Amino acid sequence: METIEFILVYALILGSLYLLMSLGFSLVCGVLRIFHLGYGVIFVLAVYGVWMFMNDLGTGMLPALIGMFVIQILFTLGVVYYIIVKRYVEQEEILLTSLLLVALVIEELINHLYPVTAGVNIPTTILSGVTKVGAATIPNQMFVVAALAAMITSAFVLFLLKTRWGYIIRAVSQSTRSARLMGVKVERVYAVALVLSIIPPTVCILVISPIWSIEPYLGTPFLETAILVSILGGLGNLRGTVIASFIVGLVASSVAFLINPRLVGLAILVMVFFVLVFRPEGIARSESLW
Amino acid sequence: MLLELKNVSKSFGGLKAVADVSLSVEKGEIVGLIGPNGAGKTTLMNLVCGVYRPSEGQVLFDGLDVTGLRPHRICRAGISRTFQIPRPFPDLTALLNVAVAVLCGKPRPRMGFGDALLDASHCLEFVGLFGKRNILARDLTLFELRALELARALATTPKLIMIDEVMAGLNPGESSRAVRLIRKIIEEYHVTVVWIEHVMKIIMEATDRAVVLHYGEVIGSGRPAEVANDPKVIEAYLGEKIAQG
Amino acid sequence: MVRFEHKRAELVIWLGDLKLGWSIEPRYWRNPLLGMALLAMLPLAFSGRPDFLTLITTANAFACIAMPLAWQMTGTGRLNFGPQLFVGIGGYTAALISVHWGWGPWATLPMAVLVGLFFAALFSPLTTLAKGLYFSLITLVLPLIFLELTYYFTGIFKGETGLFGIAPLVNLGRIKTNYIVSAYMSLVLLMVFLFVVFRIMQSRYGLYAAAINDDEEIAEVMGLNINVWKVICFTITSVMIAVTGWFMAHYFGTFAGVTFLPLPFMLKILLVVMIGGRGGIYGAIYGAYFVVILEKLLTVIGPTSHFLFPLILLILLFVLPEGIYGMIRRHRYREYYPTIRVRRR
Repeated sequence: METIEFILVYALILGSLYLLMSLGFSLVCGVLRIFHLGYGVIFVLAVYGVWMFMNDLGTGMLPALIGMFVIQILFTLGVVYYIIVKRYVEQEEILLTSLLLVALVIEELINHLYPVTAGVNIPTTILSGVTKVGAATIPNQMFVVAALAAMITSAFVLFLLKTRWGYIIRAVSQSTRSARLMGVKVERVYAVALVLSIIPPTVCILVISPIWSIEPYLGTPFLETAILVSILGGLGNLRGTVIASFIVGLVASSVAFLINPRLVGLAILVMVFFVLVFRPEGIARSESLW
Repeated sequence: MLLELKNVSKSFGGLKAVADVSLSVEKGEIVGLIGPNGAGKTTLMNLVCGVYRPSEGQVLFDGLDVTGLRPHRICRAGISRTFQIPRPFPDLTALLNVAVAVLCGKPRPRMGFGDALLDASHCLEFVGLFGKRNILARDLTLFELRALELARALATTPKLIMIDEVMAGLNPGESSRAVRLIRKIIEEYHVTVVWIEHVMKIIMEATDRAVVLHYGEVIGSGRPAEVANDPKVIEAYLGEKIAQG
Repeated sequence: MVRFEHKRAELVIWLGDLKLGWSIEPRYWRNPLLGMALLAMLPLAFSGRPDFLTLITTANAFACIAMPLAWQMTGTGRLNFGPQLFVGIGGYTAALISVHWGWGPWATLPMAVLVGLFFAALFSPLTTLAKGLYFSLITLVLPLIFLELTYYFTGIFKGETGLFGIAPLVNLGRIKTNYIVSAYMSLVLLMVFLFVVFRIMQSRYGLYAAAINDDEEIAEVMGLNINVWKVICFTITSVMIAVTGWFMAHYFGTFAGVTFLPLPFMLKILLVVMIGGRGGIYGAIYGAYFVVILEKLLTVIGPTSHFLFPLILLILLFVLPEGIYGMIRRHRYREYYPTIRVRRR
């Protein structure tokens, strides 16, 4: 009985974490219809950007956050959008390879500037200590993560359903050709989607950094999880992403408690494999973003 | 009976593209398949060629049940087709395009690569593309691409060729050349032809029999002149007068 | 009995009644025989420097991975983001058998081939089942799964340090001779692979590969059994890559999954293929030497080379869409220059 409590509680916690991780990837996937293989870099840039401002430049927390966002936006628009996406939407092999390369370059650069041994400490602990939920002991920070996941997802959904830009984004995600015929500047929508996709992963990594090991290569496992959740949820469908993230959370916590915590990464990869082979359309049946 | 379709249907989800079509084609016939846009003509062709699997019904070819077989087996059985929007191999030359058909279309265990190229050259020469044999397929004009399609269809030594709207996009001069070419093919190779076409003049002149499809169903079949004056057919075309000479 | 004839563009050798002919490119810089002779002289030229010999051997090994990969990308019509999986499979088979049972390299070779064949046959249905983009993602994920497995079963695979003490390829006493002979062995492997892949691409099977790459639905309508040919292509190329893994395990004497399985190695191989000119066979050799020499040059700069190297490759990818090989050798119009397509509807 205790084990089931453990599993369910952790499933919810991990699910919200994965949701926050994957939201941006799903958004890019749904609107641009590309696999943003450079997505892992967003996490790395977020953490080390803030660290750079606070540690090397001695600024406070808020200016550091703003500075980091500026860097992220510049990087996304300047490098990812203008150089890669705009030129190579048609030639996908170059697109995917260059996104992977960019991720590698940034990760190596950051590894060079801030090697793992240096240690990174970002004081974003909002709730410290732990709480016992049933039989499980959970760091309070994770509740913050869960709350933020719910808030940001709702914000995105409201944005997509109620605002004008949300309409336009949903339209582009269904058919770029028709959207263009209606006078939508599709390139601008792509840029907006790319910038919006920065927000969830940045928030995610900043909030969990006190309780997570920070190293320059942490982008890759996050990217893998995001890929799994997005594909399982039906590429680029936010509703499916929400459901899928909790399914993956359940699987991860079951594997961790019933088999071996070291196997969670492997379990996620194996799930990606089977989903890709047997049901690449995922669980959602919709062709649009929501 | 060379080709026989028995109560063939195909649904895509809720949409019934082809509904209970029964059709038979004798050896040596030239059958025209007509109908308004969206009537299911190309879907029917895809069903016969194996690109789609029929939801219901049976397709019999030359005594063989080819329902739902993979396209390459149906090609080996002797059915060949052209495409409305030409689909060659864009990065290969015209000669190599036809050579693929030669090598794969019929089991020829002793055919060497050089022999295949020779055979392909013959097919190209027959359709008049021999001079363009070393041009990449992506650089050919529309008419040449259509001729290439026909050459490829011929190269698989078919018993039945299904031709899909070969006139679309051609100017009148090219159209008459295309019709002459198809007539030449029929005379030389004695193939049976199922010809999907929109241009009524061709159907009237070149075909022995016309079958009319509307919303996936056969609404008329018979000599072209009779079919053209059938009130149901005229209604299907929304009163378009098919009385050109 | 044996006669040599030299016509204007052909070299003919008569062995009694048997006529063997090689066509010689009149322009010398395009002559493959010349290129091979040049490559054959390299190990002798650097016989004093074991680090250069390792460079040459590594470059040959990269080319041995890139050439089958180029064939595979056209023959299956999909972009394979995980060729290093079979490098890992071949290498680990050789390493495990050599370390645990003490077999020499020539005994582990058939085992590496068999195990590679088994896994290639196991994964080959993916080429028919999975649509283009999903196949690329699956191949991206598979080596990572293998890597996680090597970490989990540390007892067998020895985790991050890898297996060491693998029997060397040759042991002729003096270390320098070992290096030179190994370099020549890698060259022989390269030439065998080059011969195999090149002849296949020139034959009807190369035509089938081109047809499958360009439009597999049409190829099927024209009578080509695409499933069978895709599976055959994938299996043979994967076995070839596994053999290269075998070679690398025995050459370096150690084999750790963490060197070969994660992303950076894959990107190097992929860039050898792309910079060497998109699926070209000779281009892979140029690309391999270029990438390996570039990496070596950059290590002189120091630790910054870790991010400069992928950065330079990225810039090259943008600036030279046809690759270096494409730049110095304008491909002939009639020659098949494949378009690599990732997404297939």
